[in-house]
Amino acid sequence: MENSTPVMQKNWRSFRMAAWLGWKIESNWTDPFLFAIYSIVKPLAAAMILVVMYGVISRNQFDSPVFAYLFIGNAFYQYVSNVMVGVSWAIVDDREHYRTLKYLYVSPISIPFYLLGRGVARVLITTFSVVVILAVGVAFLHIPFNPAVIDWPLFITSLLIGILMLAMLGLLLAGFTLRMAQYSFNIGDSVAGALYLFSGAIFPISVLPAFLRPLGYIMPISYWLELIRRAMVGGVAADFPMFPGFSNLQLLLILIGMTIIFGFISVWGWKKFDWQARERGLIDQTNNY
Amino acid sequence: MPMLPPVSKRHTGWRLFLMTVFGRSYPRVIGAQRETSWVFFDTFLPMLSVAAYVFVYRAIKAPEDYVGFVVVGGAMMAFWMNVLWSMSSQLYWEKETGNLALYIISPGSMMAILLGMAVGGLFATTLRALGIIILGSLLFSVHFVVASFWQLILVFLLTMVALYGLGMMTASLYLLLSREAWHFSNLAQEPIFLVSGFYFPIKNFPAWVPVIGSIIPLTMGMDAMRQLSFASGPSLGWVSVKIEILVLAGLAVVFLIAARYLLSYMEKLAVREGRLTESRG
Amino acid sequence: MENHYAIETQSLGRIYKVRHAGKKETKTLTALEGVDLQIRKGELFGLLGPNGAGKTTLIKILTTLLAPSHGQASVAGFDVSKEPEEVRQRINMVSGGESSGYGLLTVRENLWMFAQFYGIPGKEANARIKTLLEIVGMADRENTRTHSLSTGLRQKMNIVRGFLTDPQILFLDEPTLGLDVGASRDVRNFIHRWMGDDTQRTLLLTTHYMVEADELCDRVAIINKGKVLACGTPASLKQSLQKEAIFRMDLDCPRTLDEIPFRGMAGVKSVKVHDNETKTVMDLVLAEESVLAGVIAAVTSQGAQIATLQKREPTLEDVFVQLVGQRMEEVEHADAPSGE
Repeated sequence: MENSTPVMQKNWRSFRMAAWLGWKIESNWTDPFLFAIYSIVKPLAAAMILVVMYGVISRNQFDSPVFAYLFIGNAFYQYVSNVMVGVSWAIVDDREHYRTLKYLYVSPISIPFYLLGRGVARVLITTFSVVVILAVGVAFLHIPFNPAVIDWPLFITSLLIGILMLAMLGLLLAGFTLRMAQYSFNIGDSVAGALYLFSGAIFPISVLPAFLRPLGYIMPISYWLELIRRAMVGGVAADFPMFPGFSNLQLLLILIGMTIIFGFISVWGWKKFDWQARERGLIDQTNNY
Repeated sequence: MPMLPPVSKRHTGWRLFLMTVFGRSYPRVIGAQRETSWVFFDTFLPMLSVAAYVFVYRAIKAPEDYVGFVVVGGAMMAFWMNVLWSMSSQLYWEKETGNLALYIISPGSMMAILLGMAVGGLFATTLRALGIIILGSLLFSVHFVVASFWQLILVFLLTMVALYGLGMMTASLYLLLSREAWHFSNLAQEPIFLVSGFYFPIKNFPAWVPVIGSIIPLTMGMDAMRQLSFASGPSLGWVSVKIEILVLAGLAVVFLIAARYLLSYMEKLAVREGRLTESRG
Repeated sequence: MENHYAIETQSLGRIYKVRHAGKKETKTLTALEGVDLQIRKGELFGLLGPNGAGKTTLIKILTTLLAPSHGQASVAGFDVSKEPEEVRQRINMVSGGESSGYGLLTVRENLWMFAQFYGIPGKEANARIKTLLEIVGMADRENTRTHSLSTGLRQKMNIVRGFLTDPQILFLDEPTLGLDVGASRDVRNFIHRWMGDDTQRTLLLTTHYMVEADELCDRVAIINKGKVLACGTPASLKQSLQKEAIFRMDLDCPRTLDEIPFRGMAGVKSVKVHDNETKTVMDLVLAEESVLAGVIAAVTSQGAQIATLQKREPTLEDVFVQLVGQRMEEVEHADAPSGE
């Protein structure tokens, strides 16, 4: 019976179980104090750093398109640091803290689908904090918001594809985390920090030195963030654009294409790292440091 | 003949104290440098975050000294992260691995253990922070104009003593925590980056913000260091360097004394409540 | 007056407050109750009991890690609650199944670090580390980083750490947990020699391995559910069963053997049936040998055949069964998992 369980069914079961587990683990979030820390205070404080930096230099000219660019980019970047890093963090959490990773490995589940499932709770929670940041921006910092102007189909399509893309990148990062047993604690945040630089989240890629720009252009996150900005505040985004040569449709196609490519790279990378980790006995290696 | 002769000499008192400090600093002074990958993870990657903020300033055409502020802030951030994650919450990790119990039952004092952690952490982080300063200065051509080298050194040292004193004090508070320790450290990241002015001069806040923020020694420490090392520093400084030196010295004394008393109080409390060994579920 | 007890406890007890996830109210859990022990200097004393019996709680109290809820305890003549600093200068502790130190440091460095905390000068510490590592057969691992050690080697290092500081009183909490048979034997031999070297050394060992307690300890206290049920030399504890006749039968049973009919039989003091890999084993404590005939008849009436029948000397396991009414394994299974 068990042997004949179709692969899809196993994957779905792994995903569903992990989503439930993720929610249980993150159900800390039902604690108002912890919810406030992770979904409001931390992201809002990080956003305020940029607000103050901008305010100091521009003498509080918050109605400029430059500010909308960086504020919205930063708000949606929460998805990168939470979803992508969240998927990979499951490796650290299960290996180092709960010490259950080895048991997951010996159970009949699909680890990649399990990891993706662990990200579901993160998506929901991140959505809340993005909304909070945007609300603060709209209420106090002149961020334009008009539901009638928002290109909803483009926004929703881009958001969903983006989340899928981030989850796949998360899988790749999870593989890397698994393989790099030693520094696994820092990897997620470090990569999120690095991508913040290259993906045009808070300044256009053109500000980077020429030799670094290609890194931004090969990152699907760059196209995704620009699509979100254009969908949300079309006119303002046009005044301070990234990728001015591309239409919305072109950007969307690029995002879809890149998501597929990175999806394949992630699956391939995960398999490779997973193999190396097992070969080196890293599945249950923990650090006392 | 006995297979193992008795120990012929045991130091006690201040020598034991120093030996304990030295012993506990060793894993950080030597061990932490062993895997050379730290250069990548602790210097290069934080450098990327620094670069992101540098480019924001460039994108909004800020004066060049602001780039220097970010580089200094990025380097000092390494110390804050070290204090948060390897001082304050360290005793929680030590509890989970069983080391804490071994420290407590040893005749060496816990204060010496904490001091050892601090000295070791300070050493290892200074290497990383220097890496960030050097790399950042070279990459972004930061132009330092040092007004007084000795004052700068003094401010740095006082900031570090006060900061690690704070770390020792909070470490003892964390002794009673289990997994919440993680959340508290997380809470003290971004909000402190904001109010301590890691990426901009705190002068721009309404005065009450830096006043409250000054409980974190890095707030005044960075403000003073920027005043002492950049041409536009003095004009962008919050209060005078002299006042900042005095406050930092005061914080250092208060935190160290508080750490001493809090530690012994918390240790007693933890013994009573049975919280010195691994958390129970 | 000089105290000749290394460890002494009076009506020692510890209550934990346990809060269940999501619930506000706390429950209390008695981990230790009314423990009176006197352990003499030079004694190798064993605490024998199942997991969760309170052994670790007792060790935590004696090593100053946990305050008793009531009663008193002194170690080396000092009160563990009032004079912890004095106690700490004279003790050390090794817990089985726990790692100590830092993965990035080598075996020697980790051990050296702990020696520093005891004020042992570096040169002497290093010489002792070398000797001890040779004794436990780890001399070639001196410069291996501990994160790459196997569990067994890590445990050996942990044991070396305990002996390194030459404590007057050493607490070993399940020291052979997770070690293979050979390594456990090495550890036991080592403990024996260490105790033999100096008649003033005291060692308190907790274990749930009967053989370990029997082979090593001068005296043993049997502990269950936080209470000391019996205390004495292994021989004297076993002697309490000397009057009885103890038998073990290996049976071939067509179905599970029913224990209940045997319990009611006159002269049967205890009966335990458990399944081996291939057979059913019946352990019997009988008031006298003549009862055996009736037992055999009852066995065969259930359709079982006796493969072997053996009269044997009592073991500490029998003592435990006699005191608790269950085998130690059964107690562990029934109670798991509980906070000890």
